[in-house]
Amino acid sequence: MRIPDIEPGVIPPDPVASDALIGIPRQQTNPARWQGAGWPAFAAQLTAEGIEVIDASHLRGTFSTDAGGTAYGMPHGVVIARSSLQVSTILKAAQAHRVPVTVRGGGLTTEGESVAFGGLLLDMTGMSRVIAIDTAKLQVRAQAGIFWASLAESLRRLGLDYLSAPLNLTSSVGGTLGVGGIDVNSPRLGCSADQAIALQVVTPTGEITECSDSENAELFQRVILGYGQFGVITEATLSIRPYTPLKMRYYYYSSLRTAIEDLQRLERGDASDYSGILTMMDKAITLLVAFDSDQREAEFDARWHAGLRGSGEAGFALRMAAHYALRPWNLKEALFLLRRKRQLFPEFRRPEHMRDGKMHDRTVVFSRAVWKFWGGRQMVIPDLATSADKFVEAVERGNAVCKRYFPYYTLYCVGIRLREDHRPHYELSCIPPDAQGWAYGCEFEPLLGDDIWSRDTLQSFKNAIYDIGLDLGGSYYRFGGMMKGYIRRAFGDALVERHLALKRKADPAMILNRDVIF
Amino acid sequence: MTRPAASHSSCSGCDLCLLACPVWRQTRDIRLTPHGRAKALQHGATAAELGTSIASCTLCGSCEPACPEEIPLVDLILDLRRKHPLAPAPESRPAQATATVSGTLILPDVALRADAARLARIAASLGAGLAADDGADISLALEAGARVPPARLTQFLAGLAAATRLVAADGLLLRQLHAWLPGKHIDSLGIALSALPSVRSKLRARDLYVIEPRAFHADHARLAGHYDALRVDIGLETNLDLQRLAIPTTASSAQNRLGLRALDAAEQANWILEGRNFERVVVEDAHDCAVFAAVTDRPVVHLGDL
Repeated sequence: MRIPDIEPGVIPPDPVASDALIGIPRQQTNPARWQGAGWPAFAAQLTAEGIEVIDASHLRGTFSTDAGGTAYGMPHGVVIARSSLQVSTILKAAQAHRVPVTVRGGGLTTEGESVAFGGLLLDMTGMSRVIAIDTAKLQVRAQAGIFWASLAESLRRLGLDYLSAPLNLTSSVGGTLGVGGIDVNSPRLGCSADQAIALQVVTPTGEITECSDSENAELFQRVILGYGQFGVITEATLSIRPYTPLKMRYYYYSSLRTAIEDLQRLERGDASDYSGILTMMDKAITLLVAFDSDQREAEFDARWHAGLRGSGEAGFALRMAAHYALRPWNLKEALFLLRRKRQLFPEFRRPEHMRDGKMHDRTVVFSRAVWKFWGGRQMVIPDLATSADKFVEAVERGNAVCKRYFPYYTLYCVGIRLREDHRPHYELSCIPPDAQGWAYGCEFEPLLGDDIWSRDTLQSFKNAIYDIGLDLGGSYYRFGGMMKGYIRRAFGDALVERHLALKRKADPAMILNRDVIF
Repeated sequence: MTRPAASHSSCSGCDLCLLACPVWRQTRDIRLTPHGRAKALQHGATAAELGTSIASCTLCGSCEPACPEEIPLVDLILDLRRKHPLAPAPESRPAQATATVSGTLILPDVALRADAARLARIAASLGAGLAADDGADISLALEAGARVPPARLTQFLAGLAAATRLVAADGLLLRQLHAWLPGKHIDSLGIALSALPSVRSKLRARDLYVIEPRAFHADHARLAGHYDALRVDIGLETNLDLQRLAIPTTASSAQNRLGLRALDAAEQANWILEGRNFERVVVEDAHDCAVFAAVTDRPVVHLGDL
């Protein structure tokens, strides 16, 4: 097949969400639907090449939104990815016919990044098998559409585990490597994207390329944490480790500042193997720490335990009881806390996942809880990522915003160990440029439940959180899709223009994951 | 305001059902999963348009306990099957007099009934009588989406009325019996046998114990504890995945029994065995004996043969 010469695509004057009016910064970007010019010829070409294009509307509808549930778009057609060669064929044809291609793994984006506003949706879960496990080198090679849970399932048969992955079973490996991937062991092991050793990538023009820090390093740097702009990850080689259950420990705080200060102190001192903060309310804050071995726990007890300012469960319950006894007008709040505790705590101690006081398969336990108690048809999770020294202020200000908008919400705070040798990977990503050693992230998640909130309220809330990030010079995990109006202001014109030039060169018709960043 | 009962409309698309679904495992095609069906229905699909997907489900039920929205996914697929049956209605069992049995009554399925010696041993172990009418035709009709004549169902249930405890080998029938006979003590064959000290004493630490998935998933919250205790007591391994859902072979599915296009049960069995350290396979479902025997050179025994 001869690919026709590709002319540079028609790009808006400012493809990274220019201001709607001079002096009025854009705070939201709803992509325009691609109108379908060239679709029939494109679809016919794929069909002729033996690729099934799913076009029934009820089947396309399966992909009409993402986990956020606030962005809706319909692809013209869907292809289930089956091989790198098939993906290559699709991208070559898409360049020729100028058809947008949106790539989707688990679909766990929240700002419409994996929603196709017309064009082709490529469902990567069709490529989700483990290719090889090297027990000597402690590496695994897998197709990139694989869910972390499926990868864990194969690794566990050999007594192995991945290093770090999102606390969500249905995140895909490829999608995660494209945005970061944060675990409660990220303060020690870094983000998931830092675990990638090598990738097979199909570039936007359809070349199947292997890349790593030593081979095609520039492509590797742009694809890792690259929000899908510079290629489709089709295979990944990841570092793995021996599996260990973990021993959880919880400390309870009534001050965000104190909890964060303790968290950061523990992480600087490498005190535990896992750590993070999860709140039920801003006066009921849980600092969780966990250990891979009894030895690490014993060291923690000897050196760190006594210095922590949080209480144990019983002590904290007594304090809260005294607090509400003196404030009977806050009875509703007290009842919420009690109900939440009764629902949540058993979920983290499910007997079939506990053996000898240790938690097995933490991702299953956390993920079940996430979907059961935080999931729903809409998930609004704006976040802030800052350097260590700005984090307390970011969380406190974000908490004040949450309080203004919603009666009940959760904050999830975690540190991310940075790799100095991966600085080039972190450009235009969730890692703030001024972070040294660790970056810190906080997700602000209102408990929407079955309540109905207007789209305006949800967007206004997200903007209020993101404005804090601009003010502090931080970054975000979810700056793409509907939030891309913040990209230029957060990262500056020079960096954005440089990446835009790279994108134009790599993707002449600008077809791959359009409207996510560019 | 009371939250309405969950239906396909409640699906938020989390994909947790995919992780446990044997059809997804073999096809990697979201259209053939509970997620795919629920979303397609949300977008106006008819049962006829979902025909391939409806026909592909093996009714192992693993998706149901995985679903955070608590959608009754097995009922949903049975309902869709009624609208778009797998096959014409199987022949209904002719009416016959059923002896009234008090005490424990075993309802064997087709595979168990095929081995009279094994069935007799199980009945003796449990001190139970055998149901002359085990409702196998009703179970197959339900699974295939065929209509069950009300008179036939009434006759079947009448034969069970006097029993104080029912032990059902067919996991799908067991699920329905719970609905049809509320308050009746009903156990799966696996639970009934694995609770016997005489059986437990013959299980070994190097056994791979294969739980029958349909009954297990129908009462997952309770039975996860039973099997976890068995694992701890004996030290054996089971076919549970990381979500503590039972990986099925799908050998007992209606597609297999009706000779329709079915999942590759041997591939499922290989996946259950992959990376496991075991000396013997012990199965609860008699259908699984032949499947495992074909893919491993180690002994495969039915729980009732211990």
